[in-house]
Amino acid sequence: MRTALALVMAFMALVLSFTPGCKDKDPDPQAANEIKIGVFLSLSDANADFGKTTLNGIQLAVDEINEKGGVNGKKLVLVTKDTRSSPEQAQTVAKELATQDKVAVAIGSVESGQSIKAAPVFQEAGIPMVSPSSTNPEVTKQGDCIFRVCYLDDFQGASCAAFAYKDLEFRKAAIIFAQDDDYSKGLADFFRKSFTALGGTIVEEAAFQGKASEFKDQVTKIAAANPDVIFAPVYYGSIGLIARDFRKQGVKAPLLGGDGWESPQLIQLAGETLEGCYFGYHYDPEDSDPKVQGYLKAYKAKFNTEPNSLSALGYDAVYTVVKAIELGGGDTSAQIKDGLTKIKDFHGVTGTYSIDSGRNAQKAITMLKIGGTDLKKVKVIQPSDIK
Amino acid sequence: MAEADITSQLLQYSANGLAKGSTYALMAVGYTLVYGVLQLINFAHAEVYMLGSHFAYYQARWAGYLPEDSAGKPESVPIGLALGFVAVAMIACSLVGMLIERIAYRPLRNAGRLAPLITAIGVSLLLQYGGQAVFGTEPKLFPTFMETEVYELGPIKFPNTNVLIVLTTVVLMTALTLFVTKTRPGAAMRACSHDMKTARLMGINVNATISLTFGIGSAMAAVAGVLVAMDQPAITPLMGVQIGLKAFVAAVVGGIGSIPGAALGGLILGVSESVVGGLWETSYAEAVAFVFLIVVLLFKPSGLLGKATREKV
Repeated sequence: MRTALALVMAFMALVLSFTPGCKDKDPDPQAANEIKIGVFLSLSDANADFGKTTLNGIQLAVDEINEKGGVNGKKLVLVTKDTRSSPEQAQTVAKELATQDKVAVAIGSVESGQSIKAAPVFQEAGIPMVSPSSTNPEVTKQGDCIFRVCYLDDFQGASCAAFAYKDLEFRKAAIIFAQDDDYSKGLADFFRKSFTALGGTIVEEAAFQGKASEFKDQVTKIAAANPDVIFAPVYYGSIGLIARDFRKQGVKAPLLGGDGWESPQLIQLAGETLEGCYFGYHYDPEDSDPKVQGYLKAYKAKFNTEPNSLSALGYDAVYTVVKAIELGGGDTSAQIKDGLTKIKDFHGVTGTYSIDSGRNAQKAITMLKIGGTDLKKVKVIQPSDIK
Repeated sequence: MAEADITSQLLQYSANGLAKGSTYALMAVGYTLVYGVLQLINFAHAEVYMLGSHFAYYQARWAGYLPEDSAGKPESVPIGLALGFVAVAMIACSLVGMLIERIAYRPLRNAGRLAPLITAIGVSLLLQYGGQAVFGTEPKLFPTFMETEVYELGPIKFPNTNVLIVLTTVVLMTALTLFVTKTRPGAAMRACSHDMKTARLMGINVNATISLTFGIGSAMAAVAGVLVAMDQPAITPLMGVQIGLKAFVAAVVGGIGSIPGAALGGLILGVSESVVGGLWETSYAEAVAFVFLIVVLLFKPSGLLGKATREKV
């Protein structure tokens, strides 16, 4: 029995040693010449990609700022924690950041579920939290310390519905979504509401469990209803497979999705099956704005890969915090929080935005059309276009 | 909805389920073989499946059939070479399976039931997380072994990948049944399954037979991994979790320890998931699998084709 135990322990140790570690800095005594930014993201497990690409964007911005001498002579220091793709773990590391590391401001997370769990911790500690890309409306309702620099799912869902109804002039839509995913289900709900309010009909809905890798039955169900367009608010790892299954069963209607589709791998994973489909996105990668092009170039030079929208939002989150330090008049938590409420017409990579009274970024959504090898901007929808 | 529509949908769901069930069956065999011989649930089997598709993926990548950057398009792999990749993946997976048995299960063979079970879960997690560390977490595009073609049979659309899945499963299951019932190593496997001590006394090399069992099961998992990846060409280190669970259910439903049981369990599970899920509510398909498991076990505790065994006291 002892050998058995030893073996189990050895395996546990191995498993743990394989889990990518966090790049924690020892909490050193409050140095006067640095500003601590807590970062909590999924760096391992199912959504590790979200965290890693966001962290790249954050790192790029911090390095740029520190190279130019920091903020008011102080260096930005990141304290990074891995949430292991779990909302519970997000709450745990949020407590560490708030009580042990005593960060001035926190950036995280991508997944709304994690942000919602972590938010009350920062709220209680009076530390402002900026989510780069959690789009669920509940996130910033957790308290007056919780901010975000991305648009919301209700706006995203409504924009997709308006685009499908008004611009593409489709009247019959079907929805395929992940039943157990807040993001997917939330977008499906908002799309359904807006599309029917405009006068369209939802002819069929088919749900799946988020971990599914096979969508034949959902496709069969939707194919029978013969929709004009299929709304698929899912992540990029699924959409390629979903699109392939639709085309295999002879469904030619275009698919429409949200920012979850976005990835440098999108077109490759889908093959030609997504040609002529559309999705809503945070910015236009072909935008000639020097801010966008400069960011793309710097990112590619530093990481040798293509950035995605999560990187851009992480990048913008850091610069938004820096702007808040300037507007708030200092780098204490209270001053940064105050500064964040004053962000107005901030010019970032992901567009020009202001933080509204709900502590959400008011910004436009860019609808992109997928071509053979590239993405083309077809429409920009402003918050004022959607009521 | 028109009557004809329902019929054609029902047929399409059955076709979907047939392909899905075949992959469950291929995987269930791995659980059943090992259980038959060792009474061990080899949870790491699902990860061997994952490794199978990754081994094939990396060979194709190193051979230059996948684009280096994320924007490029993959080239089609010639059929002969693809078969070679699959053969190598099968051999590699067999070795991994045997290695797992040698390192993680054999030292615990006399340590009761619980210890190897925990180790099996440990190996499974090790491979899931180790896979994330080594292969990366992003989904990878599986190389094109076969250009997709869709056959239409009346209202049913059946892609060639699914035809291949069903045919391969039939061939492999038949071959395996013949191997176990007609050959000497097969007889040795049956003897070990029946009574390991007596088998040893009869001069059967028990360790070699157990290794062989793991090797065969793992090779079939590799084939399943490649077949599924050809149909759904995005592979990740966690791809084994779902199918592993379903195949395990299929093995238990069919009667764990029985090869025809694994085939039957897989097919019934696949088709019922598709038909019930499709006609009722697609997100409940998962629940169907487990309701099915409970119902079968209530009436036939040893599974549909399992042998009823009396507990020796």
